[in-house]
Amino acid sequence: MAAVTYTATAGERSLLPAIPAGLRAAAPVTLLLVLGFLAPLLTVAAYAFATPKSFDVFRSFTLANFSAVFDPSNTVWMSFAWSLAYAAATVALLAVIAYPIAYGLNRMFGKWSGLVGVLFVFPLFVSENVRLYGWVLFFIKNGVLDGGLKWLGFSGGPEVLYTPGAILFGMLYVYLPFMLFPMSLGIAMIPRDLVDAARDLGASRLMIWREIELPLAMPGILIGMLLTFVLGAGAIAESKILGGQSVITIAQDIEVAFTYAQNWPLGSALALLLVAIVSGLALYVLSKLDLDRILGKR
Amino acid sequence: METRSQIRARAFVKIWTAFVILAIYLPIICGALAGLSKGRYFGFPIRVFSTEWWGKTFASLEIQSLVQNSLLIAFIVTLVSVVFAFFGALAFARYDWRGRKLFQKAILLPVFFPQPVLGLALLLWFNALGINPSWQTAVVAHLVWIVPVVTLVIAIQVYSFDPTLEEAARDLGASRWFILREVTLPILWPGIWSGALFAFLLSWGNFPLSLYTAGVDSTIPKWLYSKMVAGYSPMVPALGTMSTLSAAAVLLVGGLAIALVRRRQADA
Amino acid sequence: MSLATISPTLPDTATKTDDAVLPATAPVLQLVGVRKIFGDFAAVDGINVDIKEGEFVTIVGPSGSGKTTLLRMLAGMESPSEGYITLRGELINDVPPDKRPTCLVFQSLALFPHKTVGENIEFPLKVRRMAAAERKARALELMRMVRLPEHYYAKNVMRCSGGEKQRVALARAFAYDPDVLFFDEPLSALDYKLKKVLEKELKDLHRESGKTFVYITHSLEEAMVMSDRVGVMSRGRLVQIGTPEEIYTKPATRFVAEFFGEVNSFEVRRDGQGGWILGDGQSITVAPTDEVIGDTATVIVRPETMRFVTGPSTAGNLITGRIYNEYSLGSRMQYQVHSGDRIYLVEAARAAVPGLSSGDSVTIGWDARDAIVVGG
Repeated sequence: MAAVTYTATAGERSLLPAIPAGLRAAAPVTLLLVLGFLAPLLTVAAYAFATPKSFDVFRSFTLANFSAVFDPSNTVWMSFAWSLAYAAATVALLAVIAYPIAYGLNRMFGKWSGLVGVLFVFPLFVSENVRLYGWVLFFIKNGVLDGGLKWLGFSGGPEVLYTPGAILFGMLYVYLPFMLFPMSLGIAMIPRDLVDAARDLGASRLMIWREIELPLAMPGILIGMLLTFVLGAGAIAESKILGGQSVITIAQDIEVAFTYAQNWPLGSALALLLVAIVSGLALYVLSKLDLDRILGKR
Repeated sequence: METRSQIRARAFVKIWTAFVILAIYLPIICGALAGLSKGRYFGFPIRVFSTEWWGKTFASLEIQSLVQNSLLIAFIVTLVSVVFAFFGALAFARYDWRGRKLFQKAILLPVFFPQPVLGLALLLWFNALGINPSWQTAVVAHLVWIVPVVTLVIAIQVYSFDPTLEEAARDLGASRWFILREVTLPILWPGIWSGALFAFLLSWGNFPLSLYTAGVDSTIPKWLYSKMVAGYSPMVPALGTMSTLSAAAVLLVGGLAIALVRRRQADA
Repeated sequence: MSLATISPTLPDTATKTDDAVLPATAPVLQLVGVRKIFGDFAAVDGINVDIKEGEFVTIVGPSGSGKTTLLRMLAGMESPSEGYITLRGELINDVPPDKRPTCLVFQSLALFPHKTVGENIEFPLKVRRMAAAERKARALELMRMVRLPEHYYAKNVMRCSGGEKQRVALARAFAYDPDVLFFDEPLSALDYKLKKVLEKELKDLHRESGKTFVYITHSLEEAMVMSDRVGVMSRGRLVQIGTPEEIYTKPATRFVAEFFGEVNSFEVRRDGQGGWILGDGQSITVAPTDEVIGDTATVIVRPETMRFVTGPSTAGNLITGRIYNEYSLGSRMQYQVHSGDRIYLVEAARAAVPGLSSGDSVTIGWDARDAIVVGG
């Protein structure tokens, strides 16, 4: 399908000189993104270079906030390391967890795949704190697991709550759909004929997967990985609710700087660094992908 | 043709999927149980079931105002985002214009962005503009994140739209407005409805953006969070369960409506 | 049948230089009572056919006739619900596609879009763990065979034209070195001219390689050009199978005759004295037939065997009518002639019919031997 441009009729041409229909249609969203996304980010960038613990934005210029971040005596860099490590672990584990499900949604569940898909979408509409708090009720002392095991005569459940592992678990739980659905779109891009043809040419299951399915599903898988990495790097609710402050993530540091500490310049510098890492990665991956193909243009 | 290893693989995928679905809904069930227990503090197995806390939640004036806030925000967000996203989706998937590829990628950035950081950045921006955060600013914050998502949802429908239909209508003498009303919109309705459903539900359940940008106004997820951190009572899981059930009901009704629209299109 | 029995090179083409001296060989592929049932619908409903070594057999039929399902069963992507498929005497009903020495060229061609021309062709060789240098040499050899220039080796396969993609798909199938090649209308998406070129090339390739080809298509014209034998399918059954000549001159049923192209067909009944009469009682002389036919039948007369008659005529059948319209077929003309409530199509060389035009009264005639009686 080739996208087709409107050729404006003579009457329209005099009213709307030379503005393509696409640009006009894009205008509202573009305006929203400029005012609601770009401008806030620029504000953050401006604050990042203001005098620490002040509100002198645009009137002072200093790199003090950044040197504070990289000061080894400060523990902020630890939060960065934790957040990025958590994000990386989430990506790796979710890729393994989601792949069989994404494959099933495309190739095995048949008429049930719609329902199964909805079951995986629905949690997105329940705020993550409610869902995470459910796990607190499950894992807490005398909670569903502990109390249930005791009731059955065991000595009680393991103490997993408020540990670094619980945070990772919570992240896997919350971000699963963000890995699953792009991955599923990616697998949907593999024409059935190609798999049949490879098999007909003698390829084993493993070889078909390695040579045909994985490379062709890669755009979708990459988007899922990118999405979960970005969301994981900015995660905050998991550590607050399930982690009980056992690990401080970078988003938490930013929050503290913006709220209790009232050190907006430091918070901005942290946010700017996080954004730089995340958007650098996002732009790099997105530049490799053709969205028309992934979303269904034939 | 099924070989034994294929049958094994199929069984593995099914069992694994069932297991993960179970894990996804387990905490939601735990919350529902906690909201129905009589005791002030949660303990399992539950000794006495009671709807006492559901009743208290319903009666609470504070919670009524939360629900009103959440609904108001969700409705406005739905309305605005569908209009914005409809045109956005046409620009995304329908028209061929210079800058389309850039637009496609720019629109993804808010989605590919940690929401707590986005919320904090918006807080800073509102402050710099001298705007006091309130539920209105929360609407703006929700829009920044939800409009791109809804644009993608509608764009998927637009991709399946054959542009020669519009050309044919134009060739038959229809005006642009007439084409929009008679050709484009009816074909895109299922996508638009899906987009609206997404917008409402994502706004209804949003926590990180509301937390930082709603100011003194509170929404259901924001209030729940404050009580989780300090001041637990069974009203927390009760309200959480109610919110989840409402979302499920909206999804069910909305999903059926969309299925109906699709069926009517297929039958007509 | 294990893959090890397949030699990695083409068989010696010298063993099959002339069809006439070939001994009558056992069938390479044998189908006995093959059925495929989906739910309560028999997509393939009892096929019996023997395909000989080195034969080019084409199955034609309209869409929904079951030909694709039949091919998928032969290639191993479906298993038959009933009946037997044997390859060189071995039952292969449930042998998966990767374990049979056969290869399918898909309608979509199913080229791997993320691989180059060379990588596509080498895929089956890589499956067999052939060394890289050897693979490349073999791929280049196959590219020469299908007339692809050598520098295409590193070309992205999606950048190739439609005809080039066909050649890549063919080379890839040959790289697998199958005993039997299956084709699922691979030429259907090409323009007419290119299709004609590739049809002939495919037939040449068949002759040079000596492999057995089974081809399916909905175009009888395509089938006629290439095949040793043509089978016509309808509603899951093989209605007729024979040489192109037999199918053309002795269609077994009205379906086969009409599938071939535009024909004049008349419903007739017996007149009680060994002849046939039309519905309005007019008698019609026909070619003698060996077939056992009931009391009613259909008479088929091809437009090209009808002619305009001006003077006295030897034609066994004569009809007068009026020309309703005329159509140019290039070197030939076709006329629609109305007579009573019947419509006749008459085809003639352009030079043979001077000055006829719409509205003219004409007499048309045809010989008894050109009127073929078929059942149904």
